[in-house]
Amino acid sequence: MLIKFTLNGDPVEAHLNTGDRLLADVLREDFQLTGAKLGCNIGACGICTVIVNGEPTPACLQLAAMCNGADIRTVEGLATPEGLHPIQQAFVKQTALQCGICIPGHVMQACSLLEKNPNPSEEEIRASVDSVYCRCTGYHRIFEAYKEAIAAGQRVGRKS
Amino acid sequence: MNAPDPRTAGLLVIGKDVQRTDAIPKVTGAALYVADIQMPGMLHGAVLRSPHPNARIVSIDLTAARAMPGVKSVITGEDTAHKKWGAFRPDLYPLAIGRVRYVGDEVAAVAAISPEIARAAVDKIVVKYEVLPAVLSMDQAMAPNAPLVHDDCAGNIAHEFNFERGEVDAGFKASDCIVEGTWESQRQWHTSLETIGCVAQFSDGRYTLWCNSQTPYLARGRYSTALGIPESQMRVIQTEVGGGFGGKSGDDNCSVICALLARKTGKPVKLIHTREEEFLASHPRMPMRYRVKLGFSKAGKVLAKEIKMWADNGAYTGKSQAILGAATVRHDALYKYPNARAHSRLVYTNLVPTGAFRGFGNPSADWAVEQAWDLAAEKLGIDVADLLHMNAVVPGDVSPHNHKITSCELKQCIDKAVELIDWKAKHKNKHPNHGLGMGCSLHVNGRRSFGDWDGSSAIVRINDDGRATIITGEGEIGQGTLTVLRQIAAEELGLPFEDVDITRPDTDVHPYALGALASRITYVAGNAVKRAAGEASKQLMAAAAEQFKLPAEDLTIINGQIGPKAGPESAYKPVAVITRANIYKRGGQPIIGVGNFDNPSDFPDHSRYGNESGSYNFAAQCVEVDVDPGTGMVTLDEISAVVDCGTVLHPAMAQGQVHGGMVQGIGFAMTEYFDLWNGQPTDPQLKDYPLPGAANLPKMHVAFADSYEPSGPFGAKGLGEIGLDAIPAAIANAIADAVGVRIYNLPITSEKIHRALHPELYANEKVAPAVEPKGGMWSRLSVGKPSGPRPFDAEFVVAKSVDDAVAMMAAGDTALVSGGMSHALRRERTGYPQAKRLVSLARVPELLAMGINAQGVLSIGSAVNQQRIFDDAKVKQRWQAIHDALEAVGHTRLRRMITVGGSIGPLIAGFDLPIALLALNARVTVAGTAGRRTLALTEAFEKRFAKDEMVVSVEADTLPAHTGTAFHKYMLRGELEIPTVNVAAKVTLDAAGNCNAARVVVGCMGWKPIVLDLAQLAGKSLSEQAIRDAVQQVRTLAQPVSDVRGSAAYKREMAVEWAARIVVKAWQRAQ
Repeated sequence: MLIKFTLNGDPVEAHLNTGDRLLADVLREDFQLTGAKLGCNIGACGICTVIVNGEPTPACLQLAAMCNGADIRTVEGLATPEGLHPIQQAFVKQTALQCGICIPGHVMQACSLLEKNPNPSEEEIRASVDSVYCRCTGYHRIFEAYKEAIAAGQRVGRKS
Repeated sequence: MNAPDPRTAGLLVIGKDVQRTDAIPKVTGAALYVADIQMPGMLHGAVLRSPHPNARIVSIDLTAARAMPGVKSVITGEDTAHKKWGAFRPDLYPLAIGRVRYVGDEVAAVAAISPEIARAAVDKIVVKYEVLPAVLSMDQAMAPNAPLVHDDCAGNIAHEFNFERGEVDAGFKASDCIVEGTWESQRQWHTSLETIGCVAQFSDGRYTLWCNSQTPYLARGRYSTALGIPESQMRVIQTEVGGGFGGKSGDDNCSVICALLARKTGKPVKLIHTREEEFLASHPRMPMRYRVKLGFSKAGKVLAKEIKMWADNGAYTGKSQAILGAATVRHDALYKYPNARAHSRLVYTNLVPTGAFRGFGNPSADWAVEQAWDLAAEKLGIDVADLLHMNAVVPGDVSPHNHKITSCELKQCIDKAVELIDWKAKHKNKHPNHGLGMGCSLHVNGRRSFGDWDGSSAIVRINDDGRATIITGEGEIGQGTLTVLRQIAAEELGLPFEDVDITRPDTDVHPYALGALASRITYVAGNAVKRAAGEASKQLMAAAAEQFKLPAEDLTIINGQIGPKAGPESAYKPVAVITRANIYKRGGQPIIGVGNFDNPSDFPDHSRYGNESGSYNFAAQCVEVDVDPGTGMVTLDEISAVVDCGTVLHPAMAQGQVHGGMVQGIGFAMTEYFDLWNGQPTDPQLKDYPLPGAANLPKMHVAFADSYEPSGPFGAKGLGEIGLDAIPAAIANAIADAVGVRIYNLPITSEKIHRALHPELYANEKVAPAVEPKGGMWSRLSVGKPSGPRPFDAEFVVAKSVDDAVAMMAAGDTALVSGGMSHALRRERTGYPQAKRLVSLARVPELLAMGINAQGVLSIGSAVNQQRIFDDAKVKQRWQAIHDALEAVGHTRLRRMITVGGSIGPLIAGFDLPIALLALNARVTVAGTAGRRTLALTEAFEKRFAKDEMVVSVEADTLPAHTGTAFHKYMLRGELEIPTVNVAAKVTLDAAGNCNAARVVVGCMGWKPIVLDLAQLAGKSLSEQAIRDAVQQVRTLAQPVSDVRGSAAYKREMAVEWAARIVVKAWQRAQ
């Protein structure tokens, strides 16, 4: 079947040989967008998180066929030729990464939260960070990155 | 010393939080991990693994697999060089020859044009096994006449240390206080979020491997041995490494098999462990049984130590005998032990091979010894912080094994850790079930293990544009190698940090290096880079001297500019001018400095006598806990950690190492374990192996001792592992302080504490014999699992209406999709779609409807996702139990994927939403070929739905005035899906405040939920005691089964406990 959707702002289509293909595979294999990583394939780790219609979504659980007409954003779509997205800047500035395999998931998760809610409560930040595993950092510096992004006072809008 | 060392004054780059070298590629998704690599013509590999812990291979039939279209090669042990390999004790074949020794052992491998075909072909390989008796524990392995794991290893003892230093018996004789005990630890999997993987290519007689190895050179050495080729015929290129922790240090067969497939096919091959394979066949932390005895004088001076230890090697050895050695001797350099005796044995079992994991044997040793010190403090009546401080080693000390202590600020670490957590004041103001504990640890900075060299070699080249390049084979695994080595070189060269580049490991190009292990990079590689930079700097200044026509001593370099020491700024020239002029002249040459550093340590002898590292790093950690005696649940309130790693090169990264180590230590102590059946985890997925998440972490205080190691680069030492080591023991010590329960076996579970606190509740426990998990094992190795190539592709159809969907279902071979999650999971498990036709309900308007009608009835369509309900303010206000249940799912990401239909349709008594709805007396409307019907959810659980029926909606009535509802999901450690118990309650009061009606629903206690109307409370004035009495009947109604979430007996007690607590909560909300 043929599905059409918007990928990082561009209109694209994908041919699915079977109706049960997963969004993660379509992104990684068909579009070579390998920013969304596969860590567990069962929705437990969150490192494949992308944004579908504004919502954080585990690409490993999302059937691609259900994304017909959707607006999909991946970590590759955040930075512009002018520079990094403010959330990416915050992760860099706060040294909020080590091995980095989970970071695209954390960045997209943070992005989806802060776009909807530029001033989240501590509870909301904790739930957001908690939804993506990190095996290296102990999370402390990832919390610092959230704080940095919020404090920067930058309204986190998507690129126009 | 307690003040920054004057030798670090004036440093410009060292000690600064410069931007990580790898930060930008990692936040943009550009960083290339091994799974991201694509090559023209690349094939995909898959491995067939043993489903038996011990078996003889009778025959292997590859015919069907080879015949599958798309399959390019199928190989077995016969296609290998028949060579055993391993870091110290070669005992592992790349693919099994004649015998398999654990569940997960590699038997055969396939290369095919897609991962899916490769996996399907693996399922087509027919292996006949003669199953042999297995040894599934150390006790079984050491029993007389036990089956041998390796025929050439009598008694299954792979290695042994047995020695005495000093006069141990005399030491105990002189002791006024003796403590002893036996502690056990369990396997912990590295669980790097990137699994082990490789892309291999064979061309012109040489192999090229792109792999996520922590140790490219050591990996090359071992892999080439396994392949039976000279080392130089293999080139290893390190990709980005998505977490290592010891698990990617070159002991696994993945890269070797990948290389074999590449040679056979002549094409590049990619082979990546699935998460399941990572749990079955990577090398988790080695479990130990550790018996320790300590003797002390009355004043608290330690006089003698004796250990007897057994460590579970699993089926193959890897680096385990070195781990055994570390666990045997290392701790003796932490305190002033005058006498020590040890006997330790490495025991082969038919279990997953164990191996290097952050801490390298020390966490399991510390788990025992640091608790023994706590017992001693209690017995001696001395505050444990004072006892540890009194006995802590100081610079100049030499351990019984000749470990020479150079820089050491352990006493300062203890003082600061105690201060950071406010130890003394908290001890004075303890409340019930509140406790504090502490532990210390030390670690090497590199370790002489692989022959008599623990060195590093580096090149620093100053380019004609004035920038410098560090050429090193050490490599980044996330811990910050690329950044700290650049800092060291920049500082030494006098260049800005930004003007120094660094290469990534490639064994064809770089000088020799051992890689990321034993906390060695900063100290060993840092010194090599510093020397190389120093050598380059000398050449640069000589070139400058020639050009300035001044003696080199009169010149200086400041921030990339060279000029006369006393000269004006205008006299300075950029480095680029000097280097260009040095090359572009007759006989010119580039500036290239070479630096070598060998750890100033000794190669330990057969009894591990010898100073294994030139310096050591230290830590002290304090933990504060509260224990809930009703459940045994431990809350970690605060942890303080103070580390002596010499000069801190990069404060943010150093802090990150310690935080990360601490959180992994918490996982080791409390959340990370599997249930095993027949030698394999019952569900080897992240679902049953939850890592610590961000939600329930304690407040963590991390600080560093003021310290300076004269032999380290700019005074620095390592710190990669030290943050983890003492955490489990410190937690156990705090629990003992809080509730008087001493935990001897890891993991620390709520159940163990609850049992110790309430033995009377378990007095009549009947323990059912362990049975194979219902439904078989979940892994792909399960006997009876679906197998073979996918029989069909699935058609995806979007239903327009409920009738449309019902009609398609009636036509057969159809599965409904609302969120799609169960289908994705099934695909992951089996590789197949659930049915030939997947019908999406996600666009049926009726099923997406949600609202409250004029009568106040809440109606939710089956395709509504949980997040929508969770976000609804009215639901939160009026039907709190529903909101509680959705909150328990955890996060937006999953709530979005789970629909009402998906959580109600299967009628599973452990799912959260149905438990909450049952308390609310909800109804469910279903549609089938016979039409629609609405029934109570209780009835649905009794009678189930018809096969052709689908859930249309659920309805809940508005609640009467003075009604409160509540829900709680009780999880021991944050597992996905099914918890230990989940409970919902509804309480309605009358105008006088007495109970009108009370209902409690308990899930996870059998195939059906327990729905209990507490009639005996009606008309009564409620009290917690009355509620507790009323819910006691849950104990007899509950029919739980023992599993990884708790024993049946514990689950039953928790069902009663949480029923009481949640009815009380509903009652409070009703008021």
